Amino acid sequence: MDILISGVGGQGTILASKILAYSAVVEGNNARTGETIGMSQRGGCVVSHVRTGSVNSPYNPVGGADLLLSFELCEGARNIKYINKNGIAVINTTKIMPVTTSLGTSEYDEEQIKKFITDNARAVFVDANSLAHEAGSVKAVNTVLIGVAYGIGILDVSKESIIQSMEKNIKQRFIDLNMRAFEAGVRYGSEVQVKC
Amino acid sequence: MKEILLGNSAIALGAVLAGVKVVSGYPGTPSTEVLESVAEFNTDGSIDVEWSTNEKAALEIAAGASYCGARSMVTMKQVGLNVASDPLMSLAMIGIKGGMVVVVADDPGPISSQTEQDTRHFGKYANLPVLDPSSAQEAFEMTKYAFELSEQIHLPVIIRPTTKVCHSSGTIEYDDEKYEYEIEGFIKDPKWVIFPPLSYRRHLEIEEQQKEISKMFDSIPYNRIEGKGKYGIASGGATYPIVKDIIEKFDLDIALLKVGAVFPAPMQLHNRFLDSVEKVLVLEELDPVIEEQLYYALAVNNIQKPILGKMNGFVSPAGELKYENTLKIIEKFVDIELIKDEDISTPELPARPPVLCAGCPHRASFYAVKKAMKGKKSVFCGDIGCYTLGNGKPLEMTDTCLCMGAGITIAQGIKKVEPDTNAFAFIGDSTFFASGMTGLANAIYNNTNINVIILDNYTTAMTGQQPHPGTGKTMMGTMSEKIDIASVAKALNAKFVEKVNPFDFEKAIKVVSDAAEYDGVSVVVFEAPCIALFKGDAPCKIENCIGCNRCIKELGCPALYISGRKVEIDKTLCNGCGLCINVCPTNCISKGD
Repeated sequence: MDILISGVGGQGTILASKILAYSAVVEGNNARTGETIGMSQRGGCVVSHVRTGSVNSPYNPVGGADLLLSFELCEGARNIKYINKNGIAVINTTKIMPVTTSLGTSEYDEEQIKKFITDNARAVFVDANSLAHEAGSVKAVNTVLIGVAYGIGILDVSKESIIQSMEKNIKQRFIDLNMRAFEAGVRYGSEVQVKC
Repeated sequence: MKEILLGNSAIALGAVLAGVKVVSGYPGTPSTEVLESVAEFNTDGSIDVEWSTNEKAALEIAAGASYCGARSMVTMKQVGLNVASDPLMSLAMIGIKGGMVVVVADDPGPISSQTEQDTRHFGKYANLPVLDPSSAQEAFEMTKYAFELSEQIHLPVIIRPTTKVCHSSGTIEYDDEKYEYEIEGFIKDPKWVIFPPLSYRRHLEIEEQQKEISKMFDSIPYNRIEGKGKYGIASGGATYPIVKDIIEKFDLDIALLKVGAVFPAPMQLHNRFLDSVEKVLVLEELDPVIEEQLYYALAVNNIQKPILGKMNGFVSPAGELKYENTLKIIEKFVDIELIKDEDISTPELPARPPVLCAGCPHRASFYAVKKAMKGKKSVFCGDIGCYTLGNGKPLEMTDTCLCMGAGITIAQGIKKVEPDTNAFAFIGDSTFFASGMTGLANAIYNNTNINVIILDNYTTAMTGQQPHPGTGKTMMGTMSEKIDIASVAKALNAKFVEKVNPFDFEKAIKVVSDAAEYDGVSVVVFEAPCIALFKGDAPCKIENCIGCNRCIKELGCPALYISGRKVEIDKTLCNGCGLCINVCPTNCISKGD
């Protein structure tokens, strides 16, 4: 299973990558991840790669990923090329406006971006920030998105393994919040019509 | 035990299990998490772990510990080794007693660095072995081996991971038994004192040793030939698993030379590889190090065979080797179309360069200096840290950036040639302790009238909030007395030294104006914590915005954005710093509740 997670520095993509990778280890598989750590974490574009099974490199090739989990709309579009032909994109519709758009040096065309995504991938859009906010904090957007991916049936790990991984990787005092966020994502995902 | 560990954490675990006793380093992407992970694994406090003031200090500390027979490790990024190269070159002559590992992380791309320099050259320059891991798993194994090798040859051993190994994780299976040994202590002996005759004698010995180590490297598992074919590919580091994925996926008949222990070159293995193939492609990031070794092997044996790589332009001399460009190069090498180009034409998407965070005190500091110096001839010399991002629009307050500590001294050079310019130097708190103090002493001693702005945000922010001498916190969890930056400046005879909170808007501008007027070296310490250190205030509110966009055009804060014809505040990003309140001409912005 090959997953690419994309977003904006500071959104918590690395935790999502840890949870997904460790849930594979819980089931006795090997997992590799590749992270963006450094200057890009200051509000720049970030990606995390998660690969389980018998590959050598932790980094997904273009056209290789089974799942794109994007924390932000335009970062989803930026990374659509990573999905394979049968792949699915789970896209948070939240927009984080780059300073360049506010300064007028580039444009954020929401409709064009959404169209590009649906033209090039089987996509599931979700307002994950709202679901996370309802669960208690927008910071839980990562577990909402993992929930959606699980809900649509694309992940090859069990719910129990994901929960076990969340318990290992999330601080105790944030567990309840993240369980609510994850369940909200699962409900959303299981109601969406996308065949896996 | 079975765990997923980041490459850097895998190095740390390897060192802990190898019985490392002293670990020192200076933060720098992509190396930082090595030392942080050692501190995390050090639950019983049996390992002395410290962030040193800079890489030179760190390397010397590890050397001293090793002189006593303790296993030691020092960590840094590639440009850090430039700072630590003085002790490293001499230590190669002196040698060590307890196993000593020098972890130097390289950054192909570069992604978070000033240079794309290749530390493998330093191994050759200093005559020290270099191990180049290709994955987190291998980094773990190699670290344990590096300590054994170091003790066997009485020399420090360099481990050189690159970003794609440091920041990728893998599943590590291990036995958590630690290597136990007696530490003999420091034994006085003339061999620890470097003098020309000693260096001459040692130089002869070390050159002989290189041949022995080269033979060892011919047959260790990190160096091997995999598969068969009339075409050969030589690779190492993070490129090796990518090449292997391609060979496996397309079922190519290729002999793959994998070089993990890269210096001294495994010459017999190279010869065997070259004998078995008709032509060779070398795929390695940064400089053509393996490639040069193969050319050398051909020359020594007086054989001619095509070697394709960076030296003949077949492979780009700069940047990362990712799956896609590696595949293209291999396609050209084997002359078979492996994959059809199906480029999706992505529409133009908004650029998203890294920026100073919403609420970052550096934005306020830069803005205060910008306001104070408006219309006056000034040059702004920057330095290494988050505040290098002050170069971007709309602040544009970084005119130069060279290396750690250079802002203060570059400003002096400019001032000597352009005496009518207000020469400013910006430097962060951690950078000031690392290499700013000597530059400040230089300005005061040589009477160069510059303005030094110290951006004290109480942490080493860019690399992820490491403590430093100004914070008093240590990696052993203890507190030392904080070293006060203003007091340091005064002790160096600076006569104009002022501390000010950059969010105290009018006062900050006044202090900078006074500093610029002052005849002599002036030092302004802007004190305000990094936003990552505290829970901010409630987000600011905006009402009746007239849409002049002045706040955005002046500050470029990522929490401010245009919605329709008005400015809105992103409540998830704004930390209520209130800098924009001072900028709005119609007083639309106010502190949140």
